Amino acid sequence: MADTKEMKAVLFGPVLANNPIALQVLGICSALAVTSSLKNALIMSIALTLVTAFSSFFISLIRNQIPSSVRIIVQMTIIASLVIVVDQVLQAFSYATAKELSVFVGLIITNCIVMGRAEAYAMKSPPIMSFLDGIGNGLGYSVVLLTVGFIRELFGKGTLFGVDIIPLVQDGGWYQPMGLLILPPSAFFIIGLFIWVLRTYKKDQVEAKA
Amino acid sequence: MSSNNESIGKTLAVVVALCLVCAIIVSFASVQLRPLQKANKAKDIQSNILAAAGISKVDNVAETFEAKIETRFIDMQSGDFADPIEDFDFEKTKYDADLGKSLKENGIKDIAGIQRITKRAPVYISKKDDGSTDAIILPIQGYGLWGLMYGFISLESDGETIKDIIFYKHNETPGLGGEIQNPQWTATWEGKELPIQIVKGTAGGDEHKIDGLSGATLTSNGVDHAVDFWTGENGFGPFLAKVRNGALK
Repeated sequence: MADTKEMKAVLFGPVLANNPIALQVLGICSALAVTSSLKNALIMSIALTLVTAFSSFFISLIRNQIPSSVRIIVQMTIIASLVIVVDQVLQAFSYATAKELSVFVGLIITNCIVMGRAEAYAMKSPPIMSFLDGIGNGLGYSVVLLTVGFIRELFGKGTLFGVDIIPLVQDGGWYQPMGLLILPPSAFFIIGLFIWVLRTYKKDQVEAKA
Repeated sequence: MSSNNESIGKTLAVVVALCLVCAIIVSFASVQLRPLQKANKAKDIQSNILAAAGISKVDNVAETFEAKIETRFIDMQSGDFADPIEDFDFEKTKYDADLGKSLKENGIKDIAGIQRITKRAPVYISKKDDGSTDAIILPIQGYGLWGLMYGFISLESDGETIKDIIFYKHNETPGLGGEIQNPQWTATWEGKELPIQIVKGTAGGDEHKIDGLSGATLTSNGVDHAVDFWTGENGFGPFLAKVRNGALK
């Protein structure tokens, strides 16, 4: 059984040191689309973290039974089932958010982070470690999503979680919101800046010049 | 890993067992959560009707809906009020011969791309405090670029002047056709009069013309056709004719 130190590394490693978005540059698509408000980013983060963790757990549980010729299909089936369940739960308990996230909940199935962790880690590791690895990578994804969502909602709409923070010009305040931040391309800039800051702080992530 | 894993029998067994387990989990979740989802959907539609009536930001949707909106069913052919249909859903009228009829078999030109039309449809009438009619909200559907768009158009009590148009369900491209939900665009509908035409370029002050959405010509055409169809003689036309003669004053 793995010791606590290894568990910690698996759980918190992906948050900054081996961040799935910033270093592995996986799962960018949804990071652009659902981060225009912090609430959507948060719910998307929770959904993805749960799906990654549980799919890794179940795949790892049956990893010794999976014939390698159909392993990707088996992984996809497990991931897809979990995503459908998450989608159903969202539609039942948070309909407005489910409507806004719309197709992106379904697209968790194709999110490279989920598949990547299943194939790269869960197929070779015991269930508990795989579960933690899923949570860890989900957290790494969440950190980026929440950072982007925070910046975009605060400076794009002057609100956080829908609560007014900066008074807008149109409501008699002083702040003219940045329209660009509401649009998906702005997430590119913010993720770019995020990677820049991260690599300045952790020099080992900078790729060697060819 | 045992080499046994790769045999055909084992592969089939694993796949079948996995599919069974996954299918059971998914269907269990779906069946268990359906009542909640249905309630949410109904609430969402009610809040969209309220929004079309110009009542937004309500705390208790069901209560406000009850107090402000009167739901009546219309016989599409005659335009008279008709018996209500329990649990009305436009999806249902597609398959039920008693509720809907085929446009093609009845020789009606299907400009909105809806194939079947309901024989009776709900209209929502919002009342002012003194009991007079404030707005008439008609459900409309039409084929956009990618699929059916579901919405509401709300008219003043004269049955002619448009108050608002709202789409609550559609598959149009976000940023292009999806702009049919943009409040800035729907605001340009206010005060226009039926019949409308969506045009390229600027509509200016013409009361029958509305600016098309740039980059979304097919969606704009779809909206144009949906409004034309549902306010025309095969849609709510007969009912609107009565409204114009003062049926709701």
